[in-house]
Amino acid sequence: MEIWFVISNAIVLACIYGTLAIGVSITWSSLGLLNLAYGFIFAFAGFGAWVVSQQVSAWGPVLLATGILTGALGGVVVCALAFIPIHDKPNFTIRGLIGTLAINLLGTQGLLWWFGPRAKTLPGIFGDWKISMSGMVLSADKIGNVLTSILMLVVVLRWMQGSRRGLEIRAMMMNPHAAAIVGIGVRRTSFYVMAITGGLAGLAAVLLSQTYYISPFGGLTPMIKGVSIALCGGLGSVRGAVIAAMVLGLNESLTTVTIGGQYVLITQFVFIIAILLVRPRGIAGILDKAREA
Amino acid sequence: MNYMPQQPPEIAGRPAVSREVLNVRGLSAGYGPMRVIHDLDLVVNAGERVGIVGLNGHGKSTLFYGIAGLTGWQRGSIRLNGVEVGRTRSQGPGRYTHEIVRAGLALIPQGDEIFHGLTVEEHLDSGAFTPRAWRERATRKQRILKIFPPLKKLMNVPVGRLSGGERRMVSIGRGLMADASLFLVDEPSLGLAPKIGRSVIEALMGVELGDSAMVIAEQNVALLEGRVDRILGMHAGQLKGEASAAALAIHDYGRG
Amino acid sequence: MSDADTITKWRNPLFPWGAKGEVEELPTIPFRSHQEIWRETRESRVTLFSVGRLRYYYKWPGHGSMTWNRLRYWPTRRHVLRLRGEYNPKTFQREKTIVDKRPIWWLLGLLVLALGPLFTPLGMQNTLLTAASTFALYAAISLCWMLIIGTAGIYTLASYAVVGTAAFCTASLSIKFGVPWWLLPPIGAVVGLLFGAIIALPASRLDGFYYALLTLGLNELCRVYFTTSPVFGAANGGLFGAATFVPESASQLVRLLSSYYACFALLLLALLFYRLVNGRRLGRVLRMAPEKREAFAEAAGVNFRQARVRVFVLSSIALGFIGGFYTANFGGVAFSIFNFDTVLLGLGMLVIGGIGRAEGAVVGTFIVVLLDKFFITLGPIRLILIGIIMLSAALYLRDGLFGIKAQFRNWRDKKKSERRSTRAEKGGEMLPEEATETHDKDEVYRRRFDKMQREYFKTIVTPELVEEHRRAPQGQHSEVLERLLIYFRGQPQVDKYAITAVEPFKAYRIVGLSGHRGVPPRVVEDKIYLSPEEAYHGVFLRRVQDLLES
Repeated sequence: MEIWFVISNAIVLACIYGTLAIGVSITWSSLGLLNLAYGFIFAFAGFGAWVVSQQVSAWGPVLLATGILTGALGGVVVCALAFIPIHDKPNFTIRGLIGTLAINLLGTQGLLWWFGPRAKTLPGIFGDWKISMSGMVLSADKIGNVLTSILMLVVVLRWMQGSRRGLEIRAMMMNPHAAAIVGIGVRRTSFYVMAITGGLAGLAAVLLSQTYYISPFGGLTPMIKGVSIALCGGLGSVRGAVIAAMVLGLNESLTTVTIGGQYVLITQFVFIIAILLVRPRGIAGILDKAREA
Repeated sequence: MNYMPQQPPEIAGRPAVSREVLNVRGLSAGYGPMRVIHDLDLVVNAGERVGIVGLNGHGKSTLFYGIAGLTGWQRGSIRLNGVEVGRTRSQGPGRYTHEIVRAGLALIPQGDEIFHGLTVEEHLDSGAFTPRAWRERATRKQRILKIFPPLKKLMNVPVGRLSGGERRMVSIGRGLMADASLFLVDEPSLGLAPKIGRSVIEALMGVELGDSAMVIAEQNVALLEGRVDRILGMHAGQLKGEASAAALAIHDYGRG
Repeated sequence: MSDADTITKWRNPLFPWGAKGEVEELPTIPFRSHQEIWRETRESRVTLFSVGRLRYYYKWPGHGSMTWNRLRYWPTRRHVLRLRGEYNPKTFQREKTIVDKRPIWWLLGLLVLALGPLFTPLGMQNTLLTAASTFALYAAISLCWMLIIGTAGIYTLASYAVVGTAAFCTASLSIKFGVPWWLLPPIGAVVGLLFGAIIALPASRLDGFYYALLTLGLNELCRVYFTTSPVFGAANGGLFGAATFVPESASQLVRLLSSYYACFALLLLALLFYRLVNGRRLGRVLRMAPEKREAFAEAAGVNFRQARVRVFVLSSIALGFIGGFYTANFGGVAFSIFNFDTVLLGLGMLVIGGIGRAEGAVVGTFIVVLLDKFFITLGPIRLILIGIIMLSAALYLRDGLFGIKAQFRNWRDKKKSERRSTRAEKGGEMLPEEATETHDKDEVYRRRFDKMQREYFKTIVTPELVEEHRRAPQGQHSEVLERLLIYFRGQPQVDKYAITAVEPFKAYRIVGLSGHRGVPPRVVEDKIYLSPEEAYHGVFLRRVQDLLES
């Protein structure tokens, strides 16, 4: 049935882009840094997984793990270059933006020089099996993508709620000034944040490598999509990002089926602008109510 | 050779020389071109409760922020438990604050720096930043709840929704969670109804100090009278005048 | 002074006369000459400090303050250069400085740009002149973009999207309907207006930086739309064949030069536009409402939001005009204008120069275009070079290249005040920084003398001296004590201790004189003294304490 096709597509897209969106959201609200080097981390992780698939093993979980670890490494590098030196200097927001853009440029050019412009493919991670259910065929890809991203997100969110580091990250997201007073070092926590969000980007890269080939500039479109979803959901709110991801995923698959693939971005942006006109802080503006002292 | 007309009082029952928790020498601090604290000296001994009184804008909060490293710039020597934590710094407020906090400082700032999305329980958890404190956080939370009973019912409420007095209690409770040797409490009764302000001060006075020390900055001298060991006056960025709790004249500290 | 030494005694000359309460002799310290410290201080072992202002502006001769005969822009009364006239106290001449030399730099730069292409070496003409045209065009775009980011404070990344959309629309109109080249820029301006009006809506609602994310997506949207749309030449990588003013039949040199001079004229127009918007009312209104202080502007009744939207829409019109011009100049447009790379390089142009300055936009564009288009033979390394320059600018420069002066001054002032604070003492000698600036140099000597006196007195204050004063505050004093008392009595009245009679003969209290007419003395302490002698001794003790503390 078409509607199930639409919904299943929507869910897959929502999961993957939601992962990216949550990464962008957490980075912005805890560090005040708009990480536009995300595209580079994405591509870097994809290439890392590809190298491992060529040299070491093509087993699914290994590739996933490599992607996550390479992404985390990329995140740490970006943190050390673009955040740590300037985070408490004046004009930090725009300097951080330019710094991450510059790292993006340098990194993608470096990847281009090392790996060449041809796109690479990853072997299928989840195998080739299919499930048929009430008239609709679910490929291994879709199920695997959805399950892996949901699992990773649940793990990350549980960790953020339960552990000390997670509490530190959440505290820094809300009030960096007070965080220092309770012994939370901005620099140390920033490494954790960037490593985690880099890992999320790496996961998304490996999962998306089925749809988008791995290429040096392949991280750009997913990053922009992730950024838009994060903006729509409200920067700093994980719930908002999840809701926005689902809504926009639904929108994308609906548009592809009804009007045609090339109008997807237009409808996405009409939708985002409409939401932002009503709620300048994103969807999470509705969810969050704090009392004025 | 001390020629002051009034001698500092003998702290009853305690030896004259005790361990110095805080030794500030020549501290200057300010924000940008404005210098708020001028060459300030301060010594706080273990087990002492010290009050600092003065009008707004004369540097009480800046003094606390200077000790914690949160001012715009600072100079001078600050020794916490004998360890030097002050450094000449002209940029990056808060860059080393977490190290200073881990060296044994608990700062309870003016106007509650809270994390508005975290619940009360998570707030108290966030105060336990040493591994030992984190492991023992359940027992310590119980202890805090004994000091501030109204928080018992509010453990799962996001702090953004609490009233001023409750937020102040959470803020102080957070400061009490780790084993700090120096408590800096900035205007605990600010913005609170008088009755609640008094209860907050009562709670502060009830905290067992042991080997630690507490410095309370207040505008309302009446709240501190008779309850602290020493009262210092702060005027225009300098500590002036020291009196035992017994001999106080309010108009002195009004005009400096 | 150890007890083993012979105890020196002072013999009271009034004692033989039987004065009441006088003792025969009192212990005191051995004689210490007040001239020792004078001798010590006069031996010059002075460390010289690097203070004082360096007069680094070149001083032109002439009377800078005569404002009747000045060089002016002819029909107006506006001066060409801002001059400042001063009197040199050493040479007794009047001097003038040019406070703001930027008009001179602009003039020189624009002259070089105008005349330079006529002197290009033959071999490099093609690359150089095309690169120069690109530079002029992109500089115009950067100027309009700088208006939005710097003046209006709206961080948009959609400028190239506006330019590209206008270029594509005008190109397709020209190809399909044969619109002549001189109509293309105005049509582009209309397209820019429409586009700008649409994206201005969220700009007014979103916070400055959030808007950047939205425009990033918009740029991508435009790219995908135009790339996949058959109307706009999806197959060819762009639209080509539009009408252009570059004469087809002329030689290559003429074509290149005409293209360059047209772009240069566009750059001049863009500079004029920047000046008109930023330098006049709109820019002033927006300078009242910088990033975090909008509440102030609102409280002052200034409608900065409307000003922002106006600047945004005006800049969009200008960008559309440039888009139309782009088509008219190059005869077509490729999809690469929507690439993320273009946006990135464009933003780099702005930030390298410094946000908020026109010269920043132009110089930043120059650097990036130089590396990108002129050194094209270097290959992909040039992009890496640009990336490194951008990263260094972000890490080390607070406000771009043209903010280096302010950054350096800031750093130097910080270092100065740090060094000064290590030298500052309460009431001590004048600091070298103050000494070079005071007009009355006698003040320097007076302070030094005062300090010398105090150093001497610190060495002679002893418990015996205090005891001597306590016995007879107003009696005959020994030489040492008398010196001390004369010094105390000679201090200025500001904050001087005095005694007030609360109840005559019964109660006295110490107060501090304010030293200013009309200001009452301040109460120093609460203690009540029961007799004048006790009060005098109390004042003495306080003064000694202050002496020892200083």
